[in-house]
Amino acid sequence: MQSSRPAEAARFDRPLLLSPGKDLRGYIFNKLGRAFLFLVTFVSVVAVLLIFYFIIREAAGFLAGPYVKQFFTSASWYPESHEHPEFGVLAIVAGTVYVTVLALLIAVPLGLLAAVWLSDIATFKVRQFIKPVIEILAAIPSVAFGFFAVLVMAPWMQTHLGYDTGTNVLNAGIILAVMALPTIISVAEDSLSAVGMEIREAAYGLGSTRAEAMIRVVIPAGHSGIIAAIILGMMRAVGETMVVWMASGNASQIPSPWWDLSQSVRTMTATIAGDMGETVQGSVHYQSLFSIGILLLVFTFGLNLMSEHFLARVRKGKGA
Amino acid sequence: MGFRIFSRDFADRCFTAFSIMSVVLMVCVLVMVLGPMMLHGLKAVFFFGTNEFREMQLAVFGHGDSERIRRENGEIEEARLFVYEAVGRFRRGIDTDHLSDDVRDIYRDYGSYLRDNGVSGERYSTLRARAKVLRDTLQDAFESRDKGTVQRNLQSVLELRDDPDFRGTVIEAYFEKAESYTHVVESVDLSKREQYAKAFDEVQEALSKLFGPRPGELLPALTIDQYGATRWDVVQRELQKLLWIEEWVETEPGQPMVKHRTARKEFFANTDLEPIFDYTEKNLYRLFRPRLTFYWRYFLDESTDGHYFGGCGPEILGTLALTFFSMLFSIPLGIISAAFLVECTSDNIVVRVIRTCINTLAGVPSIVFGLFGMAFFVLFLFPMLGEFGHETLGIFSAETAKNLTKPNILAASFTLGLLVLPVIIRASEEAIRAVPRTYKEAALALGAGQFRTFMTVILPAAAPGIFTGIILSLSRAAGETAPILFTGAIAFGPVPDSILEPTRALSYGSYDIAVGDRLAMLVPHKQYGMVMTLVALVLTLNIIAIWIRSRSSRKLRGI
Repeated sequence: MQSSRPAEAARFDRPLLLSPGKDLRGYIFNKLGRAFLFLVTFVSVVAVLLIFYFIIREAAGFLAGPYVKQFFTSASWYPESHEHPEFGVLAIVAGTVYVTVLALLIAVPLGLLAAVWLSDIATFKVRQFIKPVIEILAAIPSVAFGFFAVLVMAPWMQTHLGYDTGTNVLNAGIILAVMALPTIISVAEDSLSAVGMEIREAAYGLGSTRAEAMIRVVIPAGHSGIIAAIILGMMRAVGETMVVWMASGNASQIPSPWWDLSQSVRTMTATIAGDMGETVQGSVHYQSLFSIGILLLVFTFGLNLMSEHFLARVRKGKGA
Repeated sequence: MGFRIFSRDFADRCFTAFSIMSVVLMVCVLVMVLGPMMLHGLKAVFFFGTNEFREMQLAVFGHGDSERIRRENGEIEEARLFVYEAVGRFRRGIDTDHLSDDVRDIYRDYGSYLRDNGVSGERYSTLRARAKVLRDTLQDAFESRDKGTVQRNLQSVLELRDDPDFRGTVIEAYFEKAESYTHVVESVDLSKREQYAKAFDEVQEALSKLFGPRPGELLPALTIDQYGATRWDVVQRELQKLLWIEEWVETEPGQPMVKHRTARKEFFANTDLEPIFDYTEKNLYRLFRPRLTFYWRYFLDESTDGHYFGGCGPEILGTLALTFFSMLFSIPLGIISAAFLVECTSDNIVVRVIRTCINTLAGVPSIVFGLFGMAFFVLFLFPMLGEFGHETLGIFSAETAKNLTKPNILAASFTLGLLVLPVIIRASEEAIRAVPRTYKEAALALGAGQFRTFMTVILPAAAPGIFTGIILSLSRAAGETAPILFTGAIAFGPVPDSILEPTRALSYGSYDIAVGDRLAMLVPHKQYGMVMTLVALVLTLNIIAIWIRSRSSRKLRGI
């Protein structure tokens, strides 16, 4: 709405009679009201600070303790062993990487193609039908996807693909891909639509086919938004708990050979969800779970800043 | 040149085809995920319920027409009598262990009988010794597998039937047993007894799955065992187990095992048990009286252990409570934040920090919200408030203070509220921004203050958008599991009395019923029913939101 305002229009940002001399009561109420609104809005900031503070507080004992070096260098996770507990997080991080990368490998090409179809190929009516479909896909609770993974997908994999276990990297990756798709599609579609009509017309005017125009011109022009879409999809996959907890098999191991997707892994989120019920509050194991929480938090925070950067470029028109 | 144009055209068509395929694939995935969930889930609500189901509903939940159920039950028991009698006859021939036990008990009773009647000394010893001979002969007969031996032993027992020493004493039971066993031996092939015993156990197992406990039998402790097959599909499944012996046999070494079916009827050929298989199969309808049941109480009823019987009422209630209280917290906060961000500020550093924080909040993984909720609300804030309220102010009872130190609905609601706060802020902000600036200018020009302008002009105009956002975040809060894992959700437990107790929830229940619960594995319709309820709730909310938005956007276009 900002741009539609004529430059010369009178400014109505401030009511007319609010100088302290002429209308003291109104002035004070106005200021107080603003302060109240600001305080309420500030709750979000406080919440973020509190989240960081309390996660770090609970993990502090572990991060200052003797297991830190092992945490970052070892791949064996045996926190409940009585004699030699081990807190190596590498296999667990690897598990997250496995399912996330697999999910993105599936979801990014599909999502991009679907975004292109929505922004440039589909007619208005078909689009009106498909968009709610995407929204519904995004709205299905993750536990329902997990349910599907365990009760439908896993038995299917065991009988038709002959895997030893149906809950494995492939299962979790596919389901995560489905969950990341709506995010990727909608953000990518927004950025493709933000690429101006002139650019498309120029490309068509030079004689390119639609595929050439899209691949060589429109997608490169909208790359910021597409990168943001991929990052947001990645965040969804990394932060997802229920699906990976139910579908990845929860075995803290790095698959060997590395390309064997039929093996079980365990992710960071699933470790927190699965182990927390068995720990004693304040124990090393408990604190180590909060340390995994910090890793997750830092990771998603970084990704979030990156996506914001790219989305800001889209808004400012640099990416378009 | 022709080829070049052709190949470019071909590549273009391929590109279009692929992109259409990707969308079609997505729609297919949606159908594939939702289809089985909904179809199997509906079986929890619509099914053919047998009389066992109606009986269970009456006994466990107190629903139904007791008069009619009792009448039908009487008729059904009558029909089942045939099966029970055949089983009883067969048991006497096969299950001789308990016969031996009986014989031993009777011998002991006889001893005390003699003592009570003042028989002592030599006569006592003689009588005891004679009874003992009888006992041992009978036991040998029960244990033997040779027809000749058995008949000889029984004959020698029966010869003493008219002995005056035993007349009118408990020993007479020995003769009855010997007599009835003589009839049994004539009809049963004793050499097969071991095999029969094992197969007979399976038959009894299958029968109790079908019919429930036998009338007159001691009621089993678990509710699951107290009723037979409550659904027609279960009846069919259990009937197969009754009619067929299934074995996995290795045909050749190293080859996968092959399933092999033999009819039990053939196995039990020429025994008392033979007719029950045909009888059950032919009279299945009469034995169960299946009726199409619309079990709408599924959405209200409490469930028995492992969700074996009953519904998901407490779970629905818990989800609604969690969602309601989280919204109570996040809706005002979200709308006020959005109003502030749109109306009261320009783009300065503070606002940029706030925006970054909101985006960060939106990106925090849900499990980290769970961790935070536990560390902050459950372990820090609530215990502190509880102690303060109890000891300093005295407004909380000791029990309230104690509840505050444990996971509870309130903590889970706050956690969920924080989770959906960014969603509400963003949606409301967008909606408020979409109100044409002319509305605001007109209101201000008419002399309305900023507050009044916002409340009477901008908010109503933005209401559909805000409402859409609220519904979407409602559905998000209802479906989230990870944040409530440690803050207020439990898999089993009573329906909470207050919001300071933990509750069951559909989302956590769906998880638990899918992977955590051994009993629930036996009742797939209940597993699917729970997740169907959750998905249906969430999707209904979403469809309402989509509908409101499409209506209001049409209205905006119409202006």
